[in-house]
Amino acid sequence: MSRIRFEGISKSYRDAIALDRIDLDIEPAGLTAVCGPPGCGKSVLMRILIGLEAPSAGRILFDGEDIAQMPAAERSIGYVPQSFALFPHMSVFDNIAYPMALQAVPRSEIAARVDQAAGILHIRPLLAKRPSQLSGGEKQRAAIARGILKNADIFILDDPLVGLDFKLRESLMEDLKDMRAELGATFLYVTSDPLEALTMAEHLVVMDRGRLVEAGPVDTVYYDPSWLRTIELVGFPRCNVLPAHLDATNAMCTTAIGRLPIALENGAASADAMVAIRPEHITSPASGTAPLGIGKVTLVENLGSESVVYVQLDETTLVTTVPARALASLDLGDPFPLAMRPGGPIVFDRASGRRIGRVTGAPGEFRDG
Amino acid sequence: MNERIREGLYHALLWLVSLVFFAPVFWIVLSSFKTGPQILAVPPILFFRPTFDNYAKLFADPAFEHHFFNSIALSVLAVLIAVAVSFLAAFAFSRFRPAATNFLMFLLLSIRMLPGSAAILPVYLMYVAFGWKDSFVAMTLFYAMFSIPFSVWILKGFIDGVSPRFDETGIVNGASWFGIIARLTLPQVYPGVVAALIFNFIFVWNEFLFNYIIGGINTSNIPVLLATNLSQGGGIDWTFLSSLTTIYIVPPILVVYLFQRYLLVGMTFGTVRGEV
Repeated sequence: MSRIRFEGISKSYRDAIALDRIDLDIEPAGLTAVCGPPGCGKSVLMRILIGLEAPSAGRILFDGEDIAQMPAAERSIGYVPQSFALFPHMSVFDNIAYPMALQAVPRSEIAARVDQAAGILHIRPLLAKRPSQLSGGEKQRAAIARGILKNADIFILDDPLVGLDFKLRESLMEDLKDMRAELGATFLYVTSDPLEALTMAEHLVVMDRGRLVEAGPVDTVYYDPSWLRTIELVGFPRCNVLPAHLDATNAMCTTAIGRLPIALENGAASADAMVAIRPEHITSPASGTAPLGIGKVTLVENLGSESVVYVQLDETTLVTTVPARALASLDLGDPFPLAMRPGGPIVFDRASGRRIGRVTGAPGEFRDG
Repeated sequence: MNERIREGLYHALLWLVSLVFFAPVFWIVLSSFKTGPQILAVPPILFFRPTFDNYAKLFADPAFEHHFFNSIALSVLAVLIAVAVSFLAAFAFSRFRPAATNFLMFLLLSIRMLPGSAAILPVYLMYVAFGWKDSFVAMTLFYAMFSIPFSVWILKGFIDGVSPRFDETGIVNGASWFGIIARLTLPQVYPGVVAALIFNFIFVWNEFLFNYIIGGINTSNIPVLLATNLSQGGGIDWTFLSSLTTIYIVPPILVVYLFQRYLLVGMTFGTVRGEV
């Protein structure tokens, strides 16, 4: 199984730096999501891996061999481009068969493998149609089928669910996961939707402004990130980030919502810090939580099964999620008792954004006491 | 009701304008079946017993066969060469965007911004210096050269409308550039190719000036024959003119009729094309 390693990959265009010294290992035989806001360089990185663009500097290693100069066709990478790019003048069958037809695979084998791929993606009845007769989701399935029919160890899907409606996304997500398990290949999945990345992937690569922010298993990146930027980019609704003053000797930090006991992980740190509290770490008071005080509801966003509630506590607005059924009586301006689950929030150095510790307790006893 | 009257007026106007444009063509075709005195009769004769003598005389003339063949051969060969070269040039301009592409595209078209009579002198001197005057190959190449700029412009507009993602899909799967151009790009822009073929065919078919100046007996086409054989025996030979003209307009009418649906697409330049 091919191991992919990026070493110091940079890419600059005439006046803009698209990628800035990316060092990255991709886990073999897994589904890795590359995510980041639009324009962060994730697509450029994938195009360099595919061989559609050459890096300005750096090496790409496949099992230790530098492939930066290797032609795209020889790289053993299957690619599903963002805009599908189904050939309008060919039938769906011929579109899917295209990679094999180029390699002069016998007609009977092509038919069998197209049929197999069409079966996985539930598009068998569409094979005789033209792409213009397909719906968006069907086009996407056809494009994916064509992408996976290249004999390759690595498959790259560039934002394959963008523009599809919710139901289609869900069923396609399931199929993609099954398909990956069946093929046993390395899948790279590019998306600007952090939620989609969390749902799909086993590993997460977070990029921002041409740089690699963080990479690792999904749970680690989500619950245990090393960088503040990661927690800002990955997760929905957005994370609560509060400025904090660090008192290293007493292992405490002072924030607008109270003094929090912390465990420092990386020795000496400057006094300027940030505390990141995910919405799910803010709840209504219950056993095992520490009360923060009573705030005031300023905004409710209904997501169906749950709602995002913005609560103002003194000068600070905190974001939390609440199950929809608990919400019947909630109006703007209503009092909203807040509490915090200890153990979740993380402390970052303000200047560098690097993680320096974790919040271990709650502010309750100090706040009211 | 009001709406229907207005629509009727529009249609009547369209018919009127079209008939005005068609009237000279109709008259020349009608005249080709008349005798000389009937053609010049005042008032004009609309109903008469048609004669085929004019055509019999024309087809018996060896000059007709020679010039008709030249016209067909020059048009077809020049246009095929021009569109093949233009397609590759347009693909390169569209995909590789060489430095100053827009300026190069302008330079390419600049020869067509002059009237032919302004360009004829340098071209004539060059052809004489190279010994190319009255050479069939050189005449073909001249028409191809003159057809290329406009073809590149049309075809580049079409190729720009084809997403480079198609090329990339080909590249990733190991297609050659030739394979990408022939199997992925060309089938998506064939209305543009047909439009370029037709526009250029009509241009070369109708071209007189350059053929007259830099050509000769080996290369002269029907327009030259029309102009040079017009006045025989002391007056203008109207029967010759009308029968030759009638034959002369058949090929372009056939071409346009057979391919008119592509021609309409070509005139809109096909710049708005969605990705599939």
